[in-house]
Amino acid sequence: MRLLLISAGLLMIVGMTWALALAPDEAIQGFPQRIMYVHVPSVLMTYLALGLCFVGSALFLWRGDRRWDRLAHVCGELGVLFVTMTLATGTIWGRPVWGTWWTWDARLTTTLMLWFIYVGYLVVRAWAPGTRGARAAAVIGVIGILDLPLIHWSAILLRTLHPQPTVFRPEGPALPASMLAPLGVNVAAFLAIFLVLLFLRLRQERTLDRLVTMVEGA
Amino acid sequence: MAVFEARRAGGTFTTLLLILAKDLRVEWRTREIVTSMGLPALLLVIVLGAGHADAASAPTAMWVTYAFSAALGFARTFALERGGLSALRLAPVDGAAVVLAKTASNWLTLLIVQLVSLPVFGALFTEQIWTRVGALALPLLLGGLALAVVGTLLGALIMQTRLREVLLPLLMLPVMLPALIAAVGATTAILDGQPVRAVSAQLQLLLAFDILFAATSLLLFDVIVEE
Repeated sequence: MRLLLISAGLLMIVGMTWALALAPDEAIQGFPQRIMYVHVPSVLMTYLALGLCFVGSALFLWRGDRRWDRLAHVCGELGVLFVTMTLATGTIWGRPVWGTWWTWDARLTTTLMLWFIYVGYLVVRAWAPGTRGARAAAVIGVIGILDLPLIHWSAILLRTLHPQPTVFRPEGPALPASMLAPLGVNVAAFLAIFLVLLFLRLRQERTLDRLVTMVEGA
Repeated sequence: MAVFEARRAGGTFTTLLLILAKDLRVEWRTREIVTSMGLPALLLVIVLGAGHADAASAPTAMWVTYAFSAALGFARTFALERGGLSALRLAPVDGAAVVLAKTASNWLTLLIVQLVSLPVFGALFTEQIWTRVGALALPLLLGGLALAVVGTLLGALIMQTRLREVLLPLLMLPVMLPALIAAVGATTAILDGQPVRAVSAQLQLLLAFDILFAATSLLLFDVIVEE
């Protein structure tokens, strides 16, 4: 755990320095383009968090093991965190580059809806405690993921303002290596932070569960 | 007893029809759901129509009305089952049949709301709604089905939750967004005069959405129906 914390810190420092100071300027957008180094990792962590939430939810529905439910819960929280960061950084990036804070572009809109769905997930967990609520939330966690392919698909199908995928394309990345490298480091940094938060929260939830069991058993 | 006949008749489908008939019979006698969905829908149409009301704003107004009626109404359909589905759970019926029957009865109720509101939309917004009603049938049906499937699934889930009437719109509408976008797009094009052929992409999306969530409902029916 300590190792993870230290590597997360180091990766962040290296990644952010590289991104903000050392990476080359983008020809058309200039300095604001550097938000990409935060925005893209946030998006990836969102997908990771919500993917894990899906796995946890599905397995909890199938097996009933509390551990899967804890994973789903924690990943739901992290998912909301990273979707918020994605939307915030994306909005901030959009203002200088597109001239607008928001547009009803397909990808933006569906990401916003994803935010609502997972906030709804957390609301159900809060308002429906106990196993019944956990199972209801798990179903929502599963349904929410069915929205994810629509996000990616809609960005490609409909005419959009959002840039077409430049990294995860069938033809391979369109970014030059000088930008891919810092992007990679930042993704790794975000991943490390994600894991730190994940393990911390999981440990908290496990302890809480044990406490509740002990108190109820007494 | 009807339930034992279902078992002898051997079938999910028969069970489905029986439960559906029961729900519709109860609804016919109390008219509770149609009122709790229909009146807000009518109010919404009129309020929206009081503002800027023309062919351009009609599709959005229509689908906002249907979505909110669905979100308001479907929270009721499970609440109305006295004793929280326990009678159905105890009966030797297939859980899938219960889910399908609930979805079907929700869909039919929404269909009634759609039919009743169509004349009002036509009067307040654009008469194209009346002249193009044949072409509009497909988006209305598929979109209504999408609302019914998602609304039944989520409504059943939060049946025991606090504040479920508030929670259902909050949960339903984000999930419904792709279907609503497709439905509004199709309705706009058709009211513009385009043939049904021209909106095949939107209709495909609606159909895919319906199938996906119907399959999900069926896969998760034991979670939905059980305690």
